[in-house]
Amino acid sequence: MSKDIKTQVVVLGAGPGGYSAAFRAADLGLDVVLVERYNTLGGVCLNVGCIPSKALLHLAKHIEDAKHMSAEGIEFSEPKIDLDKIRKHKEKVIGQLTGGLDQMSKMRKVKVVNGLGKFTSDTSLKVEGDDGETVINFENAIIAVGSQSIKLPFVPHDDDRIWDSTDALELPFIPDRMLVLGGGIIGLEMGCVYSALGSKVDVVEMTDQLVPPADKDIIKSFMKQISGKFDNIMLNTKAAKVEAKKDGIHVTFEGDKAPEKPVKYDAVLVAVGRAPNGGKIDADKAGVKVTDRGFIEVDKQLRTNVKNIFAIGDLVGQPMLAHKAVHEGHVAAEVISGQKHYFDPKVIPSIAYTDPELAWAGLTEKEAKEQGVEYEVSVFPWSASGRAIAQGATAGMTKLLFDKNNRIIGGATCGPNAGELLGEICLAIEMGCDAEDIALTIHAHPTLHESIGLAAEVQEGSITDMPNKKAKKKK
Amino acid sequence: MADTKEVKAPDVGGDEVEVIEILVSKGDKLEAEDALITVESDKASMDIPAPFGGTIAEMKVSVGDKIKEGDLLALMEAAGDDSEDNAEEESADSSDEKSDDSSDDSDSDKKSEEPQEDTSKDEKKEKKKSSGGSKVIEVTVPDIGESGEVEIIEVLVSKGDEISAEDGLITLETDKATMDVPSPQAGTVESVEVSVGDKVKEGSLVLKLKVSDDSGAEDEADDDSDSKQAESEASQSQDSKDDKDDKDSKDQQGSKSDGDRKPPVPDHPLDKKGQAEGLAHASPAVRRVAREFGVDLNQVKGSGRKDRILKEDVQDYVKYELSRPKASAGAGYSKDGGGLQVIAPPKVDFSKFGEVELEPMSRIQKISGPNLHRNWVTIPHVTQFDEADITELEAFRKQENELQAKKKDGVKITPLVFIMKAVAKGLQEYPVFNSSLADDGEHLVMKKYINLGIAVDTPGGLVVPVIRDVDKKGIYELSEELLDVSARARDGKLKSADMQGGCFSISSLGGIGGTAFTPIVNAPDVAILGVSKSEMKPKWNGKDFDARLMLPLSLSYDHRVIDGAVAARFSVYLSNVLSDIRKLVL
Repeated sequence: MSKDIKTQVVVLGAGPGGYSAAFRAADLGLDVVLVERYNTLGGVCLNVGCIPSKALLHLAKHIEDAKHMSAEGIEFSEPKIDLDKIRKHKEKVIGQLTGGLDQMSKMRKVKVVNGLGKFTSDTSLKVEGDDGETVINFENAIIAVGSQSIKLPFVPHDDDRIWDSTDALELPFIPDRMLVLGGGIIGLEMGCVYSALGSKVDVVEMTDQLVPPADKDIIKSFMKQISGKFDNIMLNTKAAKVEAKKDGIHVTFEGDKAPEKPVKYDAVLVAVGRAPNGGKIDADKAGVKVTDRGFIEVDKQLRTNVKNIFAIGDLVGQPMLAHKAVHEGHVAAEVISGQKHYFDPKVIPSIAYTDPELAWAGLTEKEAKEQGVEYEVSVFPWSASGRAIAQGATAGMTKLLFDKNNRIIGGATCGPNAGELLGEICLAIEMGCDAEDIALTIHAHPTLHESIGLAAEVQEGSITDMPNKKAKKKK
Repeated sequence: MADTKEVKAPDVGGDEVEVIEILVSKGDKLEAEDALITVESDKASMDIPAPFGGTIAEMKVSVGDKIKEGDLLALMEAAGDDSEDNAEEESADSSDEKSDDSSDDSDSDKKSEEPQEDTSKDEKKEKKKSSGGSKVIEVTVPDIGESGEVEIIEVLVSKGDEISAEDGLITLETDKATMDVPSPQAGTVESVEVSVGDKVKEGSLVLKLKVSDDSGAEDEADDDSDSKQAESEASQSQDSKDDKDDKDSKDQQGSKSDGDRKPPVPDHPLDKKGQAEGLAHASPAVRRVAREFGVDLNQVKGSGRKDRILKEDVQDYVKYELSRPKASAGAGYSKDGGGLQVIAPPKVDFSKFGEVELEPMSRIQKISGPNLHRNWVTIPHVTQFDEADITELEAFRKQENELQAKKKDGVKITPLVFIMKAVAKGLQEYPVFNSSLADDGEHLVMKKYINLGIAVDTPGGLVVPVIRDVDKKGIYELSEELLDVSARARDGKLKSADMQGGCFSISSLGGIGGTAFTPIVNAPDVAILGVSKSEMKPKWNGKDFDARLMLPLSLSYDHRVIDGAVAARFSVYLSNVLSDIRKLVL
């Protein structure tokens, strides 16, 4: 028995982008239906991504910190790890958030339909759920079906010991030796978790640096701090062969740092990127164009080639980040409600919640060069920060990019809490602060965020906490 | 040996002019003052005469070249080949230099640095060409007066073709015109190095040409064995020349860019978002407001700290734009051509509805079109209509002409001359009509002289020669000058100087007909008087209808500068003066 529903807006996918779009549309007075294939709202981010990984990273950080206390005179005994309890803790965190979403969708009178939604035309959608089929006739649709981990053809993904990020977050067991395939943010985060839990972790990355989009100097600082967590970081190297045998996963490497013989691992995490799900929703029946790689192209109002159908989030392109999807979701909902809004941010921040954290926003030097933007760089090394020294984070750094008018166009930090420091940089860029504005803003002492004010002082030539290069020039 | 003398371009009235026709060719015998070439400036075309008699040894310019005063036009040989002739001519015309390629002792009078360089370069090129018996030369694109690349729309020759000097090789299309690139020499096409659609610029290789050059004393014997070497040499020297030319053209680019005229491009702020937005000093909330109103933030001046754009600035901008919708286009002459936000006209395939033929517009039309367009869209026009009673004027004029006809060298006077005098008088009385709007849009440039532009219809198109100091000249002097200038205009012999310095224009269509029209102000003038055909009309004199000869006047003016009431007064004043020309002497 199929049910028929009519609505002004249907949102396909209840990840951060989808539920934000749905809630915003409801708050703007529209009648909204939210379609989600899983039983809980929140998508990858809440269920098998950002949030659970942070719950685990939080634990990992405490294990690591405790370990390092011995040098400062405090000795803890070896931690006892109860995987079941950790899992339960993680589930509780997830439950709290997804439960909150259920509450909020009820409050907003957003109707949630569970099941796999596919287009049947540019005004209708069919949802196959456990309790039957629902046909949704809509005026407007927002596609927010996200992405999934890329699977590699030469990797036997069926094996229990070959994980993607979702598997790794399940904490099936703590492998003695673990390989992270791909030196991006997701792989490194999970690598940090398992390293803290006691695994010996190797990382293999095809390019010449971890986290390829970030600038070289910030990665140098990052490497200094993170390399102790991993056994072997193999750059310019790739896994050529992955064989599942009874005694373990045998991986053959090729490239600069490739070990001569195949290496046996107890688990392999494949984290080589994510592919958009654009091809799975019969978008063609609605006339929506999907690229060969599964992306859906949209304009600055998130509108697809079909006037009443919008797309947001991972689907519409890099970076595949929850906070980008949320803002796109808001804009799409606002545009549907008749507002003339555009998605035109200056920054979409990126953060690796590793230990230490790595964070950047705005232009990187790489991007500035590509775009032909003239820029100047000012760096404040944390070795000159009292707070960083006090907490043993002297390898950290804060780096700001300024344009030729001395206005901030980008920034990056690496070290404990780097992700939290980034907020100030984002706001400064969006507000169009110049170096003087930041330098003249009194930053509390001693803090890590002080490093941003000090980097701006370096740019301004008013720095007193370290040698002032610009002072020397004026004779 | 014959004495070869250089023929250089005379004063062509200021700017560069384009060669549109070559009237002579190698070997032609000429008398002094015979026309050599025809050039065209942006206002008229004229012939350049030979300064002395002789035989054309070589033409140094080709159609499409831009020349200016002092540029080398041709090499001419005196008729005889003895040295006496030589000496004679030299003494007769000492300002001409002796011969060939020593450029440093070329004419000292009225010459600038640049033309000399050109000359020497040209001659070096010439030397290169004339070395070698039968050889392959590379033909490159000459200076086409364009700083950028232009597209080849037609290739006129193919491999093996026998061509003579000045034959067209390829046709180029610039944004202003199409032009043929002529062959510098006669010969056989060895290979064509370009094809239709290619973009070329000055110095680009067009084709290789096998030429036989008898003057070349170079070894005919090892012709074959050396041909390759010669070729490579030629290409080598060509390369070095290319470099030089490149540099030249770059220099040119720099100096030209300001003067280049570009047609107005339809433009909408939203089209160029993305990039531009990033530069504006505005926070996300302000950018959102700007988006809602379609405001290009780069146009908004920020009032916040360090010129940050605030929401209020965007609101003020919108209010300002709404209250003065023409403000941006009307303030002086905006550099970007006015930035009209209009849609493109529909493209129609006329051939669907019947036979059509594509005919090029005349050069003058092509040149004047953008100017007229700019004037039409940037100047708020108002046209004031009036009629002048010229019954008495015509009676007087006919009477005078009868007297003149009896004289031997009498000059026939036309009504136009009286109108000119009346206008001159009017400009003195209402000096705002003799002004121009200053670039800042906030001042008027008041002119203390009275020069009138007179629109003249010529076979090539409309030109506007200027008659100077009309207020200081008498009716007969003006009549003679007008006759002379109109004749020269029709013969295409006006210099650009003849068309500069006008204050106010008169366009008379009275000889053709019509009751009134709305002429376009000829910027930087602020007004123009249109004159239509006079007609006998019944006029009430208080008791009866009188038959009066009425002359329709159409006065268009720039309403930014001139108020309606002032224009009406000016118009009435003109009518009054024309009705009673005794007022001209008051």
